[in-house]
Amino acid sequence: MEVLALVYRNLRARPIRSILTLLGIVVSTASMVLFLSFGEGLRRALGAELSSVGPAILVLPQGVEAISPGYPELPPDTVKRLEGLAGELGITRVIPYVVLTRGGFDPQNTFIFQGLPDGTSPKTLYPNLAVSQGALTPSPRGAVVGNRVAERSNLTLGKTLRLSPRISLEVEGILQPAGGLSDSVIYVPASAVHTALDTQNYTSVAVSIREGRKAEDVAKAIQERIPGVSAQTTGDVLRFAERAVRISDLVRFGISLVALVVGGLLVANTVMMSVYERIREFGLMRALGAKRGFIFGLVLLEALLLGLVGGLVGLGLGGLASTVVNWYTVREVGLALSAVTFRLSLFAMLVAVVLGLLAGFLPARTASRIPVVEALGRI
Amino acid sequence: MLEAIHLHKRYHQGEIDVVAVDHFSFRFPAGLTAIVGPSGSGKTTLLNLLAGFDVPTEGEVRLDGTVLSRLPEDARSEVRLKHMGFVFQQWNLVPTLTALENVAFPMMLAGVGQRERQARAAALLESVGLGKRAHHLPNKLSGGEQQRVAIARSLALNPPIVFADEPTGNLDSASGARVVELLTAQAREGRTVILVSHDLELARKAERILYLRDGRLIQVEEVRPTPEVPDKTI
Repeated sequence: MEVLALVYRNLRARPIRSILTLLGIVVSTASMVLFLSFGEGLRRALGAELSSVGPAILVLPQGVEAISPGYPELPPDTVKRLEGLAGELGITRVIPYVVLTRGGFDPQNTFIFQGLPDGTSPKTLYPNLAVSQGALTPSPRGAVVGNRVAERSNLTLGKTLRLSPRISLEVEGILQPAGGLSDSVIYVPASAVHTALDTQNYTSVAVSIREGRKAEDVAKAIQERIPGVSAQTTGDVLRFAERAVRISDLVRFGISLVALVVGGLLVANTVMMSVYERIREFGLMRALGAKRGFIFGLVLLEALLLGLVGGLVGLGLGGLASTVVNWYTVREVGLALSAVTFRLSLFAMLVAVVLGLLAGFLPARTASRIPVVEALGRI
Repeated sequence: MLEAIHLHKRYHQGEIDVVAVDHFSFRFPAGLTAIVGPSGSGKTTLLNLLAGFDVPTEGEVRLDGTVLSRLPEDARSEVRLKHMGFVFQQWNLVPTLTALENVAFPMMLAGVGQRERQARAAALLESVGLGKRAHHLPNKLSGGEQQRVAIARSLALNPPIVFADEPTGNLDSASGARVVELLTAQAREGRTVILVSHDLELARKAERILYLRDGRLIQVEEVRPTPEVPDKTI
């Protein structure tokens, strides 16, 4: 008989209560894992997306971030000025594009059109893209459709896509699955989007640079030479995204903290009740020669064990929920938005264990400080 | 040797002072000593003080020169673990441990190795006639069996002093007789066995009887001479 066995037997002696307490920790840990898994998923998806982008620099209107572009604001003059700087800054290619989103909140009915200059293949922006049917480069009245959007909306070669009441485009190519956001994009000529939006502006300009040039230096030079624009490298975008995800991590952790506190209070309540029920038992142990620390450790271990087992089961449940979320988001937008990473698992277990320890501390202290005569009921 | 010197214990009950033990002094020799008295005479409070469960308002408890009543609580626990065994009237056993594990419990606290404590606990249970009940939980044992397990446990670390507080209080006469027999056997081996009881007939099995009334020691009766045995007290 060891101390751990004693703790385990006591938890087993009151199975319903132990299971209910465990459920409290399981639910709070699982919800925390799921909430935080979105941040991990976003980091992973962003990393994968950015690594598939060819050009090193994105030029955007000042104050607009690459991960959240809005209405096209970059005038054609910016493109001309960038082309003018090509020789001096080692720019090899300037690819302006305009983005138009049609649809609502339902990803099933949302269409993302990316307008590229006439005769430009989407492969210049995303080198990993390959065509499965038809052409890779859309003609002035054509569209090349991402694999997922083609499947989802039942688009086949020759079908007509309506960009606006006045503009219709014919499906000329269907891409192979690339496993990212590009599977959900429809590549069209920029002129078609310009007509639909009644503007000549661009959303962003992708800039490729000569090998050996440092993207950060070129981006800095662009910003100095062209006022009103912001030039962002892949690293800048990642850094901004990391900041944004971290803030959202904190918000989501704050929300899950409520569940964690409730779970912790549940454990504290159960362990405290168990302590009051077992006062005579502790008194007997003390009478037989157990020191205060032994009783303290015994009660704390009980809470710790609940935290540990609850944390493990919660982690499993959170992982399962994350898988279900991913199954849905991959089907809808082609991205796995949730990820239960090793560091998240470690963090969740740490939180569950600390939760157990905090919840067990007060009951353990109470149990170890009851005078022996009082505990034995011998007054 | 266990010694009480002018032990005095006063409680406050609301605004009233209650004297539970009134300047009690006695040196407990080896052998069976019974403390008797009517209900409320201070028997249990006296045992609490002698065992170090509680501290006196005045006076002291000495164990081989060490003033037990002045030691901090954990140090008193250590003294109890090494030098004292206990048999109570009820709440004697840890309910989630088997008979064997209950007997082995003090040995675990003392850091005795698992194999050794298992073997010793089994032998002790055998000696009180419960070898076949070793793996039963307390709720599967009769009252008499539980008391015998407690006696086996009280001897786990071979202590020189054993306290028994109304050990036959909840037992039928046959079980009670068996328990008393086991306790007198411990006393014959040279231990100081201190039996607290309100049953004078049971107390007559002891070598001496201390009569308490209102917390005072009013009479010491030598029932029979202490048998010639090696003194187990330290």
